[in-house]
Amino acid sequence: MTQTSMAAETDMEALFDRVASERARAPEAPKAVALAPAPAPSPATPAAGAESDPFDVFQRVGSITRKLHDALRELGYDQAIDQAVSSLPDTRARLTYIATLTGKAAERTLNAVEQGKAVQESVRADATRLAADWERLYSSQVSADEFRQLGQKTRAFLAGLPARTEQTDAQLLEIMMAQDFHDLTGQTVQRIAKIVQFLEEQLVKLLIDSTPPERRTQLKEEFLTGPVIDPTRSDVVSSQGQVDNLLESLGF
Amino acid sequence: MNAADMKILIVDDFSTMRRIVRNLLKEIGYANADEAEDGQAALKMLRAGSFDFVVSDLNMPNMDGFELLRQIRADEKLKALPVLLVTAEARKEDIVTAAQIGASGYIVKPFTKATLEEKFGKILQKLAPQAA
Repeated sequence: MTQTSMAAETDMEALFDRVASERARAPEAPKAVALAPAPAPSPATPAAGAESDPFDVFQRVGSITRKLHDALRELGYDQAIDQAVSSLPDTRARLTYIATLTGKAAERTLNAVEQGKAVQESVRADATRLAADWERLYSSQVSADEFRQLGQKTRAFLAGLPARTEQTDAQLLEIMMAQDFHDLTGQTVQRIAKIVQFLEEQLVKLLIDSTPPERRTQLKEEFLTGPVIDPTRSDVVSSQGQVDNLLESLGF
Repeated sequence: MNAADMKILIVDDFSTMRRIVRNLLKEIGYANADEAEDGQAALKMLRAGSFDFVVSDLNMPNMDGFELLRQIRADEKLKALPVLLVTAEARKEDIVTAAQIGASGYIVKPFTKATLEEKFGKILQKLAPQAA
């Protein structure tokens, strides 16, 4: 851990303790600290503003939405996703974070495995040698001295065994801890999926709103009425199938 | 009651994380643990069973860690339950919120066995004077 992050952690610790003790002293209902909600998507304004040709915008939006929609369906980091994602620097950083984290976890795991195996191997070697010595002792005559020596060696081996098994235990624990990447990367993946889905939703909404009047007849009834353009609902089109239908009906 | 008897509820939507926490708890002496995958499931279990400690993640579907904590503190039977919140990012606003709604402590992921042991110790120490 770096010096700065250790200092930051102590600050956080102090902040928590301070607020917690304030609460303990004045236990009335705390003001609700609203976690910043996701910014409400601004209503899409048709591109009828400025000099831009509304139909050109409509075309471009339609084709972008199609690309994104297919990419979502393919569920892969292929060209399409990469293009959509490259315009979102935050998402790119998050994906890099995932790659780094999983890479580190793999390395950490393999290190622990190697070290653990080394300990196991040396224990095995020592035990095998000792067992062989005892075999020889039981199958032939040995002097009292040799017997005593073997006894000593065996005592030493047994005395040192707990420490070595603890070493292996520690490596196993390390392997387990290295799996924490799954939780962090999993959360990040979910977050990215949400971002991408939100983007698609906004594009679809924009597409519907910017559909020129002469093309509106192509839109199936379900997209002009009902929940899709209801501004009070947060889900625009609820299924990938609906998005497919929408895009097809507009010729994309 | 001694450590071995304490019944702990681990709440997290990632099964990997629940396993890790469970194993770490065993390492520091708490072998009696149960699991729930979100706040809603956790509340059900807490109301039905007799738990002595809750370790909960923040980001979960259906009901997140903050809401679970609020519900616990508002419940007659559960309000004194020690709750350790687990956060992936040490954001100031999360820390403040956690303290304000009555978390007994917080811990930042990824954490070590030593940190978990320390946090547990701190929380239990604070409870000790009131222990029957």
